Amino acid sequence: MKSQRAVFFVFLILWATDFNAALASSGTDFFEAKIRPVLIENCYKCHSVESGKSKGGLLLDTRAGTHLGGDNGPAVVPGNVEESLLIAAISHAQPDLEMPPKKERLPDGVIADFRKWIESGAPDPRTESTGSISAAPTDLESGRKFWAFKKPQQHPVPESLENTDWPKSDTDQFIIAKLEENGLTPSSDAAPEILVRRLHFDLTGLPPSLEEQRGFLKSVAEGGIDKALAERTDQLLASERFGERWGRHWLDVARFAESSGKESNFTFPEAWRYRDYVIDAFNNDIPFDRFITEQLAGDLLPAKDDAERARLLIATGYLAIGPLSLNAMSREQSLADVADEQINASTQAFMGTTVACARCHDHKFDPISMEDYYAMVGIFRSSKTYYGTAVGPDNQLGGDLIHLPKSLDLPVFYKALKPEDVAKLKQEKIDLIAKEEEAKAKAARAAKEGKDPSEFFSLQMAIGGLWRKGAIDGQLALVDEDGNPNAMCMGVTEAEEIGDSPVYERGELATPRDSKVPRGFPEVVQLSDPPEIPDDESGRLQYAEWLTHPDHPLTARVLANRVWNHLFRTGIVRTTDNFGFNGERPSHPELLDHLAMQLVNEHEWSVKGLIRELVLSRSYRQSSDFRESAFLKDPENRFLWRMSKRRLDAEEIRDAMLFVAGDIELTRPVASLIGRTGGRNAALLPFAKNIPADLDGSVHRSVYLPIVRDRLPDVLELFDFAESSLVTGHRETTNVPMQALYFMNSDFVEKRSASFAKRVMSDAGEEPEKHIERAFKLCFNRPPSEEESALANEFFRSTTGEDSLKRYCQALLSTATFRNLD
Amino acid sequence: MNNAPFPPSRRTLLKSLSSGFGYLAYASLAAEDAAKSDRRNLPVQSPHFPARAKQVIFLCMKGGPSHVDTFDYKPELQKRNGEPWRGGPARLLASAQKFKQYGESGIHISSLFPHLAKNHADDLCVINSMHTDLPNHPQAYAQLHTGSFQFVRPSLGAWSLYGLGSPNQNLPGFVTLNPPSDMGGANNYGSAFLPAIYQGAKIGGGQLPALFSALSGKTEEPGPPMKNIENPHVSRKTQRAQIDLIAGLDQRKLEQDHYHPEIEGSIQSFELAYRMQDEIPDVLDIKSEPESIQKLYGIGRPGDGDRFAKQCLLARRLVESGVRFVEVTAPTSWDHHSLLNQNLAKSCDVTDQPIAALLTDLKNRGMLKDTLVVWSGEFGRTPYAQGLGDGRDHNNKGYSMWMAGGGVKGGYAHGSTDDFGYKAIDKPVHIHDLHATILHLLGLDHERLTYNYAGREFRLTDVYGNVVEEILG
Repeated sequence: MKSQRAVFFVFLILWATDFNAALASSGTDFFEAKIRPVLIENCYKCHSVESGKSKGGLLLDTRAGTHLGGDNGPAVVPGNVEESLLIAAISHAQPDLEMPPKKERLPDGVIADFRKWIESGAPDPRTESTGSISAAPTDLESGRKFWAFKKPQQHPVPESLENTDWPKSDTDQFIIAKLEENGLTPSSDAAPEILVRRLHFDLTGLPPSLEEQRGFLKSVAEGGIDKALAERTDQLLASERFGERWGRHWLDVARFAESSGKESNFTFPEAWRYRDYVIDAFNNDIPFDRFITEQLAGDLLPAKDDAERARLLIATGYLAIGPLSLNAMSREQSLADVADEQINASTQAFMGTTVACARCHDHKFDPISMEDYYAMVGIFRSSKTYYGTAVGPDNQLGGDLIHLPKSLDLPVFYKALKPEDVAKLKQEKIDLIAKEEEAKAKAARAAKEGKDPSEFFSLQMAIGGLWRKGAIDGQLALVDEDGNPNAMCMGVTEAEEIGDSPVYERGELATPRDSKVPRGFPEVVQLSDPPEIPDDESGRLQYAEWLTHPDHPLTARVLANRVWNHLFRTGIVRTTDNFGFNGERPSHPELLDHLAMQLVNEHEWSVKGLIRELVLSRSYRQSSDFRESAFLKDPENRFLWRMSKRRLDAEEIRDAMLFVAGDIELTRPVASLIGRTGGRNAALLPFAKNIPADLDGSVHRSVYLPIVRDRLPDVLELFDFAESSLVTGHRETTNVPMQALYFMNSDFVEKRSASFAKRVMSDAGEEPEKHIERAFKLCFNRPPSEEESALANEFFRSTTGEDSLKRYCQALLSTATFRNLD
Repeated sequence: MNNAPFPPSRRTLLKSLSSGFGYLAYASLAAEDAAKSDRRNLPVQSPHFPARAKQVIFLCMKGGPSHVDTFDYKPELQKRNGEPWRGGPARLLASAQKFKQYGESGIHISSLFPHLAKNHADDLCVINSMHTDLPNHPQAYAQLHTGSFQFVRPSLGAWSLYGLGSPNQNLPGFVTLNPPSDMGGANNYGSAFLPAIYQGAKIGGGQLPALFSALSGKTEEPGPPMKNIENPHVSRKTQRAQIDLIAGLDQRKLEQDHYHPEIEGSIQSFELAYRMQDEIPDVLDIKSEPESIQKLYGIGRPGDGDRFAKQCLLARRLVESGVRFVEVTAPTSWDHHSLLNQNLAKSCDVTDQPIAALLTDLKNRGMLKDTLVVWSGEFGRTPYAQGLGDGRDHNNKGYSMWMAGGGVKGGYAHGSTDDFGYKAIDKPVHIHDLHATILHLLGLDHERLTYNYAGREFRLTDVYGNVVEEILG
């Protein structure tokens, strides 16, 4: 027992920190046993790269940081206890330097250990990991030295030493090298049944059908796994289902939603056009540099015909679909907020940098100055955003929409008006205004005479007037002069006035500095021939050119990392939307550079090309089986010794249920529920008769569900859908009873279970024994084991009644096994 | 090189796992992960330091109650009725309410809250020096709930739950009763970047925007009190068999995988969900309360008073069952731009008896000492009249709110506004300070309660907030 405890302790230390360093212990045992655990427990919270805090400029998670110390001087001077501030701090020798703060002093024994450690020269095995630098690089010079702001380099592809047969690609070489370096081995290939399920879900978000699985196994038997995988990958990449899955990944990053969110939350009935644009762009594999340009400046690109013109205008919807404050204090404030949102969303999405942090002060952690920020403000304030929400009492900031070419016959849901009705509405508005003015004048007179003015003009009247006027404006905006409905989209064009913005102190509009900042881009990025913004252009086109320039250190890296994140369950940089100082460092920096350069040079920004390369790697093919020894060394699987398991995301869970039940409708629905039912305050959605209570009620793929901010369809809300007001490169996974209740009691699952049971009946006839197996196969693509059959039989014994089969089907759909991928 | 059987057979693995180093390591990791995945099931977490309050009932007075007519007595304002405000066109408007000192402590309360004043003056800790950033409903409402009016951030309830977990696994840890559909809607009880489990569960329909409500005659959106809580098509017996089958199949998978927290967590959560179905309807059934209690709260009174009484009683039942944070939004507006005297009296009448009853009830059950009751709107109102002279405008620069129970000093008024109630001048308390203080009462250090999102540590109070030490009991 005693030895077990000792081993356990050692293990804890190993697990808590850096295994290699600890394993290589010699003179550092004392540090590992007595010092490091105390540092982790008491100090890292405020003094470590991982916590993102370096209070007093001090980092204690590296040897260098510890020796270098913080604002007050070195924390540890090896051999010199007196000069080591750490000792002063933990022994509470100085009243203003008592560490850990607001806590009891550490036990005397511990302080004695620290003294002893320093006296013996402070041996410390902690090497500089990629994650360790001593201070945030907030000035240009140190910023340009920070890994993420340096241009990706071509690194020599490492060679495997021990597993020479394993690698199939350069990617694999980088992976195996790191595994070997850390004393790990890769996992064996997953079984073909598992691989095909993984591939189908990862590329299309749907499971393989039984036939598709059989076909795959057959081609493995005939031509080998490599060929079978390559063929199936190409098929899936060519399928329209691909864009529906990978387009949705982008919609997470694009913070796509069909309403303004925030306090007033008006729906965006035209937002779905951008959604469809994104899905099509992924299906057509529009090179990503072009995709960026279309979204930021599609209105400024040449178009060969009306269809392309429409597509490019819709692309700029990217800039218009963000969360909006429709009830801001002033129009100016609102425009400033829109520009801020556009800067924030686009810099995080495309370059993993939080430029908008510099709105009120220079960025605290990254080399982004207020000038950088306001240089970009100039670009977006020189652009006009069309978000198109109706004016109403909660919305003083109604917006226009962009008109799409009439020649195209695009789907439009607004009702046509007769020309005479258009004229009538116009007249009505004129009359309303006149009447209101009259009432106001009367009320004012009455007030002067000491009578009750509300008889003539009350708050209720004012409100009523606003509603009626708003309603008329709203109706008129939807049709042309002849009353024909307009086809319109959200998006951006150049503003009437083009110009630079001043820096606003503390971000407040009331305090502009005297001089203006020329429109431009964060200075930390150095390009060989940076684009220049002409005087009469906003600069959005140049912003796109700047982002997609081959010298840009971030754009390709950030994208390659996003793709990796989806295929390997975590990013090489885990903080997919923040590559700055406060983000995490890459687990495989050389591989990330390699992939970024491949993406640009080899694949010419083709996302499909990069995906194909990665899913055909040996690394992707690994089994997800648990291996104790590897798990102990790398519990988080940062080095990729196996494929990580993952729970299906919300859309996959819903789509897989529809698929298995045989209910799924794979054609694209026209528009979306929101688009088809028009603009309104989202609070009123529950009253709309044509909108189901769970905002679902369809059998189309989940990517087509309505995405109203703060009011999501149940399935999305419950299974960790991206927060649509934020840029989301990686979704969380939670496991809560509300999810179980959804499977047990929701209308959606009830309906799927019924169809599933019907399907089983029609496939397998009336014999219960066959039902068990058939349902199992449809759900899991394999027959039940003996044990599983026994459990199913037990279920049928304990339930009676005609819907037993349906309840059995419901249970299968509810298993965690069904919604988790190996 | 690597010749070990690969992957290891189940037997080898289990053998190595069931003893020695492997077992301990595995067990510890599993525990670690279970704790992580358990966190998803909200086990109780220990606070940073001993807590004064274990749970919170937040009585939200949407619209901005007039402090100078309720809790902030201003003799100077009374004297100078009708005088121009700061030389402008606006005129000072004295309060039409009679203020009196109540209880042993003698704090000032106006005649609009007779029940509260008579029975609980010595329980109240009134802060007369509140201030917030903007005099605009949606922004101020969001700031009251999340600390931020600019960004979507986790709500106070979500942070509390994140910090403390929940003692009852069969109920959501954070419940909001009839929240408004506008004013930011779900953001006000959302979890933003915190995991979804911390978001508030809405019980009952959302209250509609006042304007829509006035025009349509409906006050609440339709729908069941809580989603997916029952399935009318399936018997408990069948459902039990389903849960057993699901657990059985998932257990097989778990054995194959050896270590799979997601599957393990799911098995647990189905069990919990099964039990929740029985517990929630019981908790929501206020008819089971004795008649005397129903009467105490004023259930059965005409109008909105009945509704608010039911909400308050339900709030007590929820915290009693172990819900950590309950928010109640009063079904009455406090946004009195006009007809102040009639409408304010109405709002006070709707809320006074139920709130007093709630405090009495909590006290009688010995729960008030552990339950922090918070009463606040998003801001206060101006001392000068607005528009046609019979209303008050929004005022963010100074207003009043109160807390009771949960370790605050009872019978105490903290800070003050200027002579007219316009601006907090003595010991001003900002929303961030209030948040820091509420967390403090729950045993949480607002500077240590952080969450890493997008590479940065976030907290409820951003970079602000000071605990108001004087109000701690």
